[in-house]
Amino acid sequence: MKKDKRPIAGRWSRQKRDIGTIVWISFLAACIGTFVIFAVMDVDALNDAWVLPWEIGSRLAYSLGFLFLFIVSLIASGLTVFMIRTGPRRGHARGKGHPPPPEIRSPEDDNPDLDLGDWK
Amino acid sequence: MSKKSSPGLPEAGESLYRKEPKIYPRQVTGRFARLRVIAVWVLLGLYYLLPWININGKQSVLFDLPARKFYIFGLTFWPQDFVYLALLMISAGLTLFFFTALAGRLWCGFACPQTVWTEVFIWIERWVEGDRQKRMKLDNSAWTKEKILRKSAKQVLWVLFAAWTGFTFVGFFSPIRELGAGIMHFSLGPWETFWTIFYGFATYGNAGFLREQVCKYMCPYARFQSAMFDKDTLIISYDADRGEPRGGRRKNDDLNEKGLGDCINCTLCVQVCPTGIDIRDGLQYECIACAACIDVCDQVMDKMDYPRGLVRYTTEHALKHKQGHVVRPRIIVYGLLLLIIISGTLWGMTHRVPLRADLIRDRNALYRELPGDLIENVYTLKITNMDNAPHHYDITVLNNESVEIDMSSPLFLQAEEVQGISVRLRIPKSAGQGVQTIDLQIQAKDDPSINKLVKAKAMMPLNFGSQ
Repeated sequence: MKKDKRPIAGRWSRQKRDIGTIVWISFLAACIGTFVIFAVMDVDALNDAWVLPWEIGSRLAYSLGFLFLFIVSLIASGLTVFMIRTGPRRGHARGKGHPPPPEIRSPEDDNPDLDLGDWK
Repeated sequence: MSKKSSPGLPEAGESLYRKEPKIYPRQVTGRFARLRVIAVWVLLGLYYLLPWININGKQSVLFDLPARKFYIFGLTFWPQDFVYLALLMISAGLTLFFFTALAGRLWCGFACPQTVWTEVFIWIERWVEGDRQKRMKLDNSAWTKEKILRKSAKQVLWVLFAAWTGFTFVGFFSPIRELGAGIMHFSLGPWETFWTIFYGFATYGNAGFLREQVCKYMCPYARFQSAMFDKDTLIISYDADRGEPRGGRRKNDDLNEKGLGDCINCTLCVQVCPTGIDIRDGLQYECIACAACIDVCDQVMDKMDYPRGLVRYTTEHALKHKQGHVVRPRIIVYGLLLLIIISGTLWGMTHRVPLRADLIRDRNALYRELPGDLIENVYTLKITNMDNAPHHYDITVLNNESVEIDMSSPLFLQAEEVQGISVRLRIPKSAGQGVQTIDLQIQAKDDPSINKLVKAKAMMPLNFGSQ
């Protein structure tokens, strides 16, 4: 049976779904992270502890904090999706969707001149 | 190829793949196995010994997180030097790209901690439980006294080795001699205890149990590395032109008569493979380029009096009998980038000024008017001597000679000392109104090259309408 590859109205492709989910979930995670971090940390205190040569205002600190968390979450969830999508297919441990394991035999079977004792 | 029809039923204790998915790689000897042993000794030797070696009275490599100072081979890195560490990471990444493009997964086969520690765990396993046949037999046997003894001996050795690894790991972050004494007296802090156990446990799990499954399922580099490959990258490959059609034979059989290639289909290349793949199926992402198949195939070829190299390091171009190129745009780009970043880092590191100074305005007061038409602004000078020697410093005003400086104490700092000194600047009213910038230069008395310019923002009264 040939697969019909025409898109169906109102349905996203897998790639679009992946990207949408990655971005949105990372955004949510970064929001929660920003709330928690800046609820317990005073941004003004950053100025004294800051090691970089430029000064940091509170709005910039909030933005950078959020951006940092967003990027880290994006990397983590993006890599996760990438690893799952490019990895072995579902069910491959049971031999589905993946070539069967390579055939193994005793080296001496068809090769009487080999001596298995040479390889422990 | 009889791949589809191979049910892989266990016969004579050989093909236990389907029933028992655990992989029992056959032991290999040979050129590349020796190379890996050397790599293991060198890399693990560095790992376990470096923290015990002192340079200038400091541990040679110590990442002192609480003090936010990194000591690396006699150099001290401060928080503001973190850019060098970032550059170091980037160069490490680029080096990986460079060698991947040049010679494929050299990293995976010989240098990756996963490979290196797994190798040691396999040595221990082999030493206690014996070779592949004995291990498979032992695993399938009932729990006899011998099995219990051998299995628990292996576990004890594994745990000890893993614990030592965890201890050494923490030794890179907390002075290892004190750490060792702390273990002797059972007086380790909670963090040190936690990380020792955590890293030991990670080593035990990764090298003892997960092994190559980490490379197959969890390692992002394994998935990305093919992007750095091209047709001139060194890969481990089976020469199908030469090997096919494969089949068993006697040593003196006439290959033309039998219609056979050089592959005798002994499947030893599969049996030595730690990831359980068949290199004869072509380049696969599971292949960690350990070259075990090369070693074993060379031995078989020797036995059969065939030339070596049926499985060998080669390139796609070479396999197709095309002209290969070592120098190509990819190599040049990676190499150039690497060269620029490394030389930039080195230049920056050798030219950094071991002095840091920040002037922080006193938050409580704007300014104070003093008799004699002087305006006083108060600051705290946070000054850090990042050098390994103590220094006296001079402080001078560059852009206004009539400004007086009054400091709570003279500027003298011990090696690696941080001080906060109260500084009062007395500025004549004639210097201006509103915010004025005063340039201050701080310079070591014994070494003029150690100097730093700080800008002080001084508040001056605004005289609306008068004068």
